[in-house]
Amino acid sequence: MSNEFNIKNIAKLASINLSEEEQNSLSNDLSIILEHVNALSDLKLDSQQQEIFIHPLEKELELQEDEVVESLTHDEAISNAPESKDGKFVVPPSME
Amino acid sequence: MSLKPTIGIETHIELNTNTKMFCRCAVVDTDEPNISLCPTCIGLPGALPVPNKKAIEFITLLALSTGCEITSKGMFHRKNYFYPDLPKNYQISQFDLPVGLNGELEIVIGENNDYIQIERVHMEEDTGKSSHSGSGRIESATSTALDFNRSGVPLVEIVTKPVISSSKQAVAYIEELRQLSIDLNISEGRLEKGNLRFDANISVAPEDSTELGTKVEIKNMNSLRSLERAIDYEIQRQSKALEGGVEIVQETRHWDENKEITSTMRSKEGSADYRYFSDPDLPNMFLSDEFIKEVETLMPLLPKVQREELMTTGLSLSQSNILSKSDDWIKKLYVKVFDQTKDSVSSYNWITGELQGQMRKANIDVLPKWFNDNYLSEIIELIKSNKISFTSAKIILNEILTTETTPSKVAEQKNLFQENDSEKISEMINQIIKENQDIVDRIKSGEDKLVGFLVGQLMKQSNGSVNPGMAKELLLKELEG
Repeated sequence: MSNEFNIKNIAKLASINLSEEEQNSLSNDLSIILEHVNALSDLKLDSQQQEIFIHPLEKELELQEDEVVESLTHDEAISNAPESKDGKFVVPPSME
Repeated sequence: MSLKPTIGIETHIELNTNTKMFCRCAVVDTDEPNISLCPTCIGLPGALPVPNKKAIEFITLLALSTGCEITSKGMFHRKNYFYPDLPKNYQISQFDLPVGLNGELEIVIGENNDYIQIERVHMEEDTGKSSHSGSGRIESATSTALDFNRSGVPLVEIVTKPVISSSKQAVAYIEELRQLSIDLNISEGRLEKGNLRFDANISVAPEDSTELGTKVEIKNMNSLRSLERAIDYEIQRQSKALEGGVEIVQETRHWDENKEITSTMRSKEGSADYRYFSDPDLPNMFLSDEFIKEVETLMPLLPKVQREELMTTGLSLSQSNILSKSDDWIKKLYVKVFDQTKDSVSSYNWITGELQGQMRKANIDVLPKWFNDNYLSEIIELIKSNKISFTSAKIILNEILTTETTPSKVAEQKNLFQENDSEKISEMINQIIKENQDIVDRIKSGEDKLVGFLVGQLMKQSNGSVNPGMAKELLLKELEG
């Protein structure tokens, strides 16, 4: 596992702005995390025996019927929005 | 340099379930924003997703109908990206264990068929809809407004292998997939409503190259027409670049419907950028043999099989293809009329040509209640037995579409039955000859064309009731004699 990463690219993907200082400190933190995770590669795993089907829950997935259940009203749904207009949530301009 | 294009298509089909994929909010078709929401589909903290059983049935049905291998042990993944129409900051999707793998779909172009290989069929959820205010141009918007009614609506994504070689094949593929989803009853299949949305991955490489060129993804094609034009434009753009020695950049381009060009949207994110990981909120999904068998019982007659059956009635592949992609009532009407007349060509021509043409002209969407399936057969039989002319048949059809009556009643009332009695016709011919002696003289002196004039006179005097073929034959005999 490589410890190399591009902090600027990660910030871009997360749509956040980082100062030089923040970039340095977060790079340090991330390096420590990656090193920690790298410990996994020391495990001797026999890929023949392990099922590559890892999930934290052993429970089987339950499905629900296709029947409508009323939930939030329009006013409730929008009540916490810092800004709204014509029934829509309004956020700063963002486009791909 | 001889170049060849290679195209792969990703299609999203919106399923016509009552409720959303991971919550029980109603799937709504309305302009009224944010009226069908709950904590799950607007990503409030603590809300947990539970998959919709019907949606899983539908995707399994689609995967089976395209001959996919079903992944009996599957799972959901989180696809992480940040955009306001995705309130959780990840989309629940499937990564390496999609519901279906390695299928194929038959397409038809004219009298030829071909198979498009399908790489995968996976389940995911739709995003909300964003609109940008300001001058109308996305670049100069001052704010973004969000409607989450669509957020969480079940979407099936079908990805083809890069095997499509032209815009025509791409269009035929989407047409087939659309019809399949309608016949499976898993989607309305309405392109204008966004029920089917597609992106195309296009690359161009030298004809003899074994490797594919750099692929460019085209988005925002919302009709078959724009799909065709966008692909043609992009193939041309890339070919020109390669011929001019310019390198193609891997990117996502946007189809501009008005300018009819593609333009750079963003450089393409790699799959690693989405940081897929299994969704800890959703346990593994097992599709049991029992479940699959149950879904198989829902399988309708697939378009491919419909075409094969229609061809046994004597229709060509292209005719069968057109019928297989027609509304259900048209398919049923054809089968009925063919059963009665055993005349595939007439049945096909009357239904897809005259009947649908007249209905369009008169703005009729559904056949009137009184319109008996036997009426078309009756009209076809009347023409074949020379009792009415083709022109009269059209008049009759028009009448029975707009008035509660029957073909024979109309023929009777409008005096459209052809006179096939040669004695009666001869009588009329003698009368015409008497009245047009000068014309007869000119015919006799070589002006053959004027025979048509006399037949016309005869048709006029008989109100079109004379069988014109018979009339001409008898007239010629009379003139010779």
